[in-house]
Amino acid sequence: MATRETSLKKSSPALFQQVQGVLRTQEGVLLIITIISVLILATQTDKFLTVKNLLNQGRLMTEIGLIALPMTFIIITGGIDLSVGSIVGLSAIMLGYSWHNLGFPLEVAIAIALGIGALAGAINGLIITRFRVPPLIATLATLAFYRGLAEGIAQARSVTGYPAWFFDLGQRETLGIPNQLYFLVIGIVISAILLSRTTFGRSLYAIGNNELAARFSGIPVNRNKVLIYAFSGFMSGFAGYVLVSRVSTTRSDMGSGWELDAIAAVVLGGTSITGGTGSILGTTIGLVLIQLLKNGLALSGVTGDATIVVIGSVLILSTLINIVVQRRLRGV
Amino acid sequence: MADSQTLLELKHISKSFPGVKALDDVSFDVRSGEVHALLGENGAGKSTLIKIASGVYQPDGGEIVVGGKAVRFGSPRDAQVHGIATIYQELLLYPELSVAENIFMGHAPRTRLGAVNWPEMRRKAEELLASLNIHDLDVTTKVGRLTVGNRQRVEIAKALSMNARVLIMDEPTAAITEADVERLFEIIRLLKGREVGVVYISHRLHEVFDIGDRVTVLRDGRYIATKAVAETTEDELVNMMVGRTLDTMFPKLETQVGEVVLEVRGLSRGRMVRDVSFQLRAGEIVGMAGLVGSGRSEVAQTIFGLTPPQAGTILMRGREIKIKSPRQAMRYGIAYLPEDRGTQGLIRQMELRHNTSLTVLRDLSRAGFINRQKEMQLAQSTIEKLSIRAYSPLQIVGKLSGGNQQKVVVGKWLATRPRVLIVDEPTRGIDVGAKAEIHRLLSELAQQGLAILMISSELPEILGMSDRILVMREGRLVAEFSRAEATQENVGMAMMGNWTGNGNTLKVQADGAAWQA
Repeated sequence: MATRETSLKKSSPALFQQVQGVLRTQEGVLLIITIISVLILATQTDKFLTVKNLLNQGRLMTEIGLIALPMTFIIITGGIDLSVGSIVGLSAIMLGYSWHNLGFPLEVAIAIALGIGALAGAINGLIITRFRVPPLIATLATLAFYRGLAEGIAQARSVTGYPAWFFDLGQRETLGIPNQLYFLVIGIVISAILLSRTTFGRSLYAIGNNELAARFSGIPVNRNKVLIYAFSGFMSGFAGYVLVSRVSTTRSDMGSGWELDAIAAVVLGGTSITGGTGSILGTTIGLVLIQLLKNGLALSGVTGDATIVVIGSVLILSTLINIVVQRRLRGV
Repeated sequence: MADSQTLLELKHISKSFPGVKALDDVSFDVRSGEVHALLGENGAGKSTLIKIASGVYQPDGGEIVVGGKAVRFGSPRDAQVHGIATIYQELLLYPELSVAENIFMGHAPRTRLGAVNWPEMRRKAEELLASLNIHDLDVTTKVGRLTVGNRQRVEIAKALSMNARVLIMDEPTAAITEADVERLFEIIRLLKGREVGVVYISHRLHEVFDIGDRVTVLRDGRYIATKAVAETTEDELVNMMVGRTLDTMFPKLETQVGEVVLEVRGLSRGRMVRDVSFQLRAGEIVGMAGLVGSGRSEVAQTIFGLTPPQAGTILMRGREIKIKSPRQAMRYGIAYLPEDRGTQGLIRQMELRHNTSLTVLRDLSRAGFINRQKEMQLAQSTIEKLSIRAYSPLQIVGKLSGGNQQKVVVGKWLATRPRVLIVDEPTRGIDVGAKAEIHRLLSELAQQGLAILMISSELPEILGMSDRILVMREGRLVAEFSRAEATQENVGMAMMGNWTGNGNTLKVQADGAAWQA
């Protein structure tokens, strides 16, 4: 390995440096893994690498994607939000309930769902900052609490029979591209800019690396934390709306277990679980990689249980590769 | 010294890390029954040298000789087997285990069946502590509940339990109280009597004269000289360390003391800040002396809004202001350089430019977007103005030396263009060169009209730099001295609570009309 590297260095230093530049970033390593996975999967079945299939996958990953964006913010600050899946369920139920049972116009019901999501997130943030409860524990508690609320309100009944326009977001396309995918792309762009270019984004990194020093530097640590948990709740509420629109029904178990999918995408994307580093680009690649693996393996005839095993292995493998590559390049 | 033998010899040691030559042909030795001090600025190679002596690093060149025989240390374990023990600044104990368990970690006495012999272990631990004249330490206490001074004693006992002949101590007095320092020195003297060789590293020069027999100075990874402590002076050592003559450690400039900028009246919060009143004027440096735990940092943090006051008023240029958060304090032109730069002052994992901009992100941004060009310029100008030794604004701050890290903290607070600068232990743990530079900087800032409150545990620093000196004890301001009145003795007495002087005690003034005017 060492000799090959040196000979490469001699023959074309420019190329080597370029490759090294890409590999130096976690996102670069992950992108290469994604490309390799796609190429392998494409050889297994010709149904995989088609525009139609890929767009459909984009549709399916939107909901998790919307949640993974604020989750990236939260994990960068050293926190975690386990309650997102339950907020999806609660918002979805509130959408159906306030339209069907309380008789609000559907537009208002949608707004209520989003508002409830944001409120649920803000409550997480307040519990975490006011009472100094560790985020893991606070959101583990609200995971149960919000799901319980959703089930209590739903009383095991689902709401269906939405008017046709309601399905525009989840089931139709504009210019051949699924409608919800536009929202995901907009969300990615805004989140990326927010994180990398603004004082707010910078404060999140500062908090994640050294919360005390951030506080001592006059950064409104608590306010910003409440904001990101509220944002997380809002996006979960929005994901709930997208989901209901896609599957045409509301049930109280919607979004169960989504917190783990969102966290997996974020962490696979190179965001440190201990906080301080990470990027939206990484999360996006992580999200895409997981979705393509799920779909590609299913299309290749791999059974569901085996698919989960493969995805788990890829998670571990890519994390290891990243660690090894980074370490080697840093010369540690 | 005729009968003392050389215990450990490092001969012509060289060591490189990627991009740096950390040690270049350095030789060092320790004899039995002596304290050999190792001096040098941060980055001079002291740490690397002791890590080689204790088996953490392997030298690229040179030889390690123990008891006349050349040896190779593949790991810290090898060094321990050869009787070399190291006590690092961060003590490596298990907080959840007892004193005895910590002392005998890895080599606990066994019963015949191979289980740990607990009574024997406790007995031996007590014996060991008693041999160090430590009688006030219960060996069954959890180490996590001990003071730093006591933990250090446990570390020493642990080293001796492994029959260490050479004890390397890396800045042992950096984090302990005066009383603990005294006890540490007693223990070291005891060890000398037992023919143990001690390698002593410290930034505090007077300690070298208190306890050292010989002293070796390193600079930029090179060996400069070894002297008998009795035959050298503080000035000579400083000159050897910095490689140039420092005009003075305390370059105090004459300043024009102007109007009152900040005034606090009856400031109170909890037990640590009780009815504190004082004024700060433009252009003056006010030193705040006191023992650790006397409430000095708490006063600063209350003024800075980290812990808002429960009672009392704060006036800025005569106008009463309310401060509930650091942000508000900063808006009024107050800056606070905290005591612990590693955990409070800096974000060590982040780049220099991102640290210097942290306090002024709003000024560097429009509509929330950071102007990265301005941010870069700020970093560059900070590097130049404060002569920070960093190769680029992109350098990770944690990789800079202590003195340069401190300059980054100073830089990030000067960027806010404060009117009042509170510095809390501004030169703790940094080398003499950087220390003199920070002193000069503070002096210049005062001359430019800044009001500076300087909290320090180092009396020479307080005496050398301050126009006025406030003394705190148990949360109260107990005395005030002018520059002319202040001496090591009377300030020290006021700190300890023995001050029985006349017009200087603030109790008189606090009741007097002068403060209400």
